Amino acid sequence: MTSLTTFYLSRLLGCNIFDTRDNILGRIRDVYVRIHTSLDDNQSSNPQVIGFVVHVNGKNKDAVLDSLQIVKFGIHYKVQCQSMTLVSHGMFSGAFLLKESILDQQIVDINGRKLVRVNDIRMVAISAGTFVVAVDVGTEGLLRRLGVNMFFKRLLQPFGGNIPSKFILWDDVETIDPNTFNIQLSQTRSKLNTIHPSDLADIIEDMSKNYQAPIFSSLDEEHAADVLEELRVKEQVHIIESLPLGKAADVLEKMPANEAADLMDHLEDDKTEQLLLEMEPEASEEVRDLLEYPDGTIGSLMTSEILTFTAEQTIADVMEHIRVEKPEMESLYSLFVVDANNVLKGIITMRDLLVTDPQMHLEKVMNTNLNSVNDYDRLDAISGIVSKYNLLAVPVTNDHDELEGMVVIDDIFDELLGKKRAS
Amino acid sequence: MTIKKVTNSKFIKSIGLFLAILGPGIITGSVDNDAGGITTYSVAGAMYGYNLIWTLIPSFLVLLVVQEMNARMGIVSGKGLATLIRENAGVKITFFIFLGLLLADIGNTTTEFAGVAGSLEVFGVSKYISVPLVGFIVWILVVKGTYTVAERIFLIFSVSLLTYVVSAVLGHPQWAEIGHAIVKPDIKADGATITMVLGLVGTTIAPWMQFYMQSSVIEKKLKISQYNYVLADIIIGCIGTVVVAFFIIVACASTLHGNHIVINEAKDAALALKPLAGAFASQLFAFGLFIASIFSATILPLATAFYVCEAFGFDAGISKKWGEAQEFYTLYTAIIIISVAIILLPNAPLISISIWSQVINAILLPVVLICMILLVNNKKIMGKHVNKPIINIIGWATVVILVGLSLMLLVSSFI
Repeated sequence: MTSLTTFYLSRLLGCNIFDTRDNILGRIRDVYVRIHTSLDDNQSSNPQVIGFVVHVNGKNKDAVLDSLQIVKFGIHYKVQCQSMTLVSHGMFSGAFLLKESILDQQIVDINGRKLVRVNDIRMVAISAGTFVVAVDVGTEGLLRRLGVNMFFKRLLQPFGGNIPSKFILWDDVETIDPNTFNIQLSQTRSKLNTIHPSDLADIIEDMSKNYQAPIFSSLDEEHAADVLEELRVKEQVHIIESLPLGKAADVLEKMPANEAADLMDHLEDDKTEQLLLEMEPEASEEVRDLLEYPDGTIGSLMTSEILTFTAEQTIADVMEHIRVEKPEMESLYSLFVVDANNVLKGIITMRDLLVTDPQMHLEKVMNTNLNSVNDYDRLDAISGIVSKYNLLAVPVTNDHDELEGMVVIDDIFDELLGKKRAS
Repeated sequence: MTIKKVTNSKFIKSIGLFLAILGPGIITGSVDNDAGGITTYSVAGAMYGYNLIWTLIPSFLVLLVVQEMNARMGIVSGKGLATLIRENAGVKITFFIFLGLLLADIGNTTTEFAGVAGSLEVFGVSKYISVPLVGFIVWILVVKGTYTVAERIFLIFSVSLLTYVVSAVLGHPQWAEIGHAIVKPDIKADGATITMVLGLVGTTIAPWMQFYMQSSVIEKKLKISQYNYVLADIIIGCIGTVVVAFFIIVACASTLHGNHIVINEAKDAALALKPLAGAFASQLFAFGLFIASIFSATILPLATAFYVCEAFGFDAGISKKWGEAQEFYTLYTAIIIISVAIILLPNAPLISISIWSQVINAILLPVVLICMILLVNNKKIMGKHVNKPIINIIGWATVVILVGLSLMLLVSSFI
């Protein structure tokens, strides 16, 4: 007779519990776990078992089982405990149920960056208590649940084959069910913040729509804006419509104005208006301008977040300005020189900034061979210019040659690949 | 913003919304009349004349109720039926359902390819050419990711199912008799009739369709505020299904039944129509069969592979590459290869395959329906959108009747 230190949740569920005198106390239906707030960073935050749902006399009751252990007699297992104490329902607030909210549900595999379904849960019983160690997402877990695991193992053994098993440590998963998620979130920062926005966007697209907005809300604002940008239009609209107005406006402000305008083009007019009013005036003004442009024109794709300078400024002035403002990468693709009337005079590239003497005036450095496009031109016009002149960004001017913004190569790529329109 | 100005009119706006939502119900409705369906309706018409047309009325009601539940579940929970079953019923029940679904669907896909073979034989194309070719086209459509385009083309083509109306009219049906037969059918309650009735209901409400319906609703990201449009879409789809079924039965009843011609396959019906209603009617019938078969032969293996993977947690979806969703593509390819291979076997027992896949369907349908009714009444999943009593009554009554009929069929087929 040995007692198991590690075991699977499926081994516990549906099992009779015996006391030391071999009386049946009830049947285990579910397991309550709680994640402790750890003051010491090195301490693991694995969920600890704090109670059970036990089926007693035809009813499900919350209970605490004293010194529970799984004992192995030969090939049979028995779940034993010293004593069982039934407790009131509110006892386990702040805890969640393993079977109800983890087993058979989808969770995010943080390292694999995708959604996986939990086939079983691996647990460990040590002196400090019983903890969840890992989730089983492999075929072996499925077969174990069906009760045919050993059969297949023996079947494959003579051929040297084995059943693929796959475990993910608890540290590397994140639940997505809103209830459980909120409980966890009250203790720790969402692990999803560590996933690259593009990957996280793919994961969110795969989720049930009811999970999308809560998951999205849990992200840090900057991260949220990056993720929103990467989502398909359908999901963008759904999330913006599901978020509270203030939160939605905050995220939209963090997005590049052209992306925000694209998104708002797909919302209802009333909703767009509400959001624009809620946003910071500066951000909403830019978006409003871009919204004026019909679909398929250069203006609808352009960004108005550009850096402009005058011909009299020096390279050093420009560098200083960039250091202070810390603009996004995209804004640095091309820098523009304009006159007092905002008419485009020249273009400075990043290379110019790096190789030129800092004291040089911009008028000496700038490229005056201007390949600009008009903001009401059709989009088809632009790809030719980009590939012909090997540009990272093309300036956009209006009918009076005033600089309105620029179109960057990333957005042209997206447009050409039809990524944003794919549904 | 020219587009937004146009939609200022409320009426036009609603129409636009409806057109955008349109699809799940209508596509499901079209796929409903697949090769198996056309065969069953043809045989029913040829054997029983107008006497089984009445079954379309309860079928319509049940189809409507079931699809409405699927749509509502999809909208409210945002999860597919396979996911909901797995998450709430555990691995064992899920395994049973999907094993059954897989077997039945391999059988059904075989029937679809039989439909392709049969319909093209009417035009003089050998099955040894048509079936591998169509199988390959169907496979490549999905693997190369042009499926969505194909689906739309098929949807437009599915209008050609209305050719059955023409086929039926060319056979000069007796409308008065049809009316009389619906109100007062002349049937005996023997084993063969029960099999036929069960076949008719089973082919109209195939289990895999419930999974398909729910997923398409989710794919469209519909909201509960759009429920009325969704309902309209479903009603149109169900009416379409039943109208087409009605005309197939009428076409076969008014020509074949009167002349005591016995048929086993839809192809036989097409061929038999020729001397009775003209070559044009015969070719139209075959063309309709071809379109229906190829449409379902594309959707069925794809849908099956998708739900199995969804339930067991494998990556799935046509937007994923082969390496990312190995189980999905392997399963999909296997279903097509097995089905095509069965058709190409000389003396393949097609009729028993078609009967057995219908029997599995008939056993599976109540199980899936019970799961659905339990899920749709679960407050944790559905909130305030749980079933109204009337829907529960129709649902449970359907389960009881189907289980009863299935048991009678099983018993009668073993004695």
